[in-house]
Amino acid sequence: MGTDVGARDRQVSAPEVPPAVPARSRGVIALLADNCTSCMICARECPDWCIHIDSHTEVEPAEREGGRPRSHYVLDRFAIDFALCMYCGICIEVCPFDALYWAPEHGYSARDVGDLTHERDRLGEWMGAVVLPPDEDPVR
Amino acid sequence: MSATAAVADALARQAGGTASAAFGLDCVEVSAQRWLTALQAARDQHRLGYFDWLGGVDEAPEGFAVVIHLAELSSCRHLLLRTRVPRSAPVLSSAVGLFAGAAWHERETAEMYGVVFEGHPQPTPLLLGEDFDGHPLRKDFVLASRVAMPWPGTAEPGGGTARQGRRPPRPPGVPDAGEWGPTSAPGTGR
Repeated sequence: MGTDVGARDRQVSAPEVPPAVPARSRGVIALLADNCTSCMICARECPDWCIHIDSHTEVEPAEREGGRPRSHYVLDRFAIDFALCMYCGICIEVCPFDALYWAPEHGYSARDVGDLTHERDRLGEWMGAVVLPPDEDPVR
Repeated sequence: MSATAAVADALARQAGGTASAAFGLDCVEVSAQRWLTALQAARDQHRLGYFDWLGGVDEAPEGFAVVIHLAELSSCRHLLLRTRVPRSAPVLSSAVGLFAGAAWHERETAEMYGVVFEGHPQPTPLLLGEDFDGHPLRKDFVLASRVAMPWPGTAEPGGGTARQGRRPPRPPGVPDAGEWGPTSAPGTGR
């Protein structure tokens, strides 16, 4: 049988047709901001220095008479620069509170390199694309 | 014993080295003096005539390892040969006479790790500029752009920088501006 030399040209692919990617692809890193305690561990572990976190401290008055006021950190900014990110997943691994997740979403290219820095709103939207991990392998 | 393991054992005997296996890949360790002997035996007697790649590993503080991956394509037999050169005198005989394809790999290993390949027909840098100073894949090579760039990890949880009296966190592998770079005291740099 001869080779169909035109097959490649007739193929329709991305971006017209979104490619099927495996559910657990390392497409993008999504942020569940409610879980983030602004502890800075991910930003400090990131080998590419691509995570930027700003936070401030809020003090709540004591709940009862004679109690101590409690302070907690409030996240102001969480941004990942996907121009630098090398998709190693260390930030996801080290997060003690499961605030970061892999999502298979990948269609976020930009014309300007500066537009690849995505802030918490966009990172949060990608939470919708996060796929539940498969069940653990049965114990043999 | 697999076919490759038998080859590795035979090679180790011939070149006075040792054979081992890790991650499903057999490896023959030979001394730097027997490097070309081992390569020639692998190519001519064990038909490992396909040169895949050659590379370096900085095994600080002792020295550098040079690794070569050879294969026999018809049967897909393949193995590694490894030798070590001391940090004080990282010199090894060039394998270009046996495997012409090793020329670029040796030039890259030379510029990245500072290993000198004696007898190389064209010992010039492959990827770096002529005026590049240093060997970027050595573990003690300072990433200059990181010294100049602000580290996002400087910020503390809750805002601001480290509280007074506490040592501020430092990015791993990046020297303090006082220890290295144009603002450091003369004689304390690299």
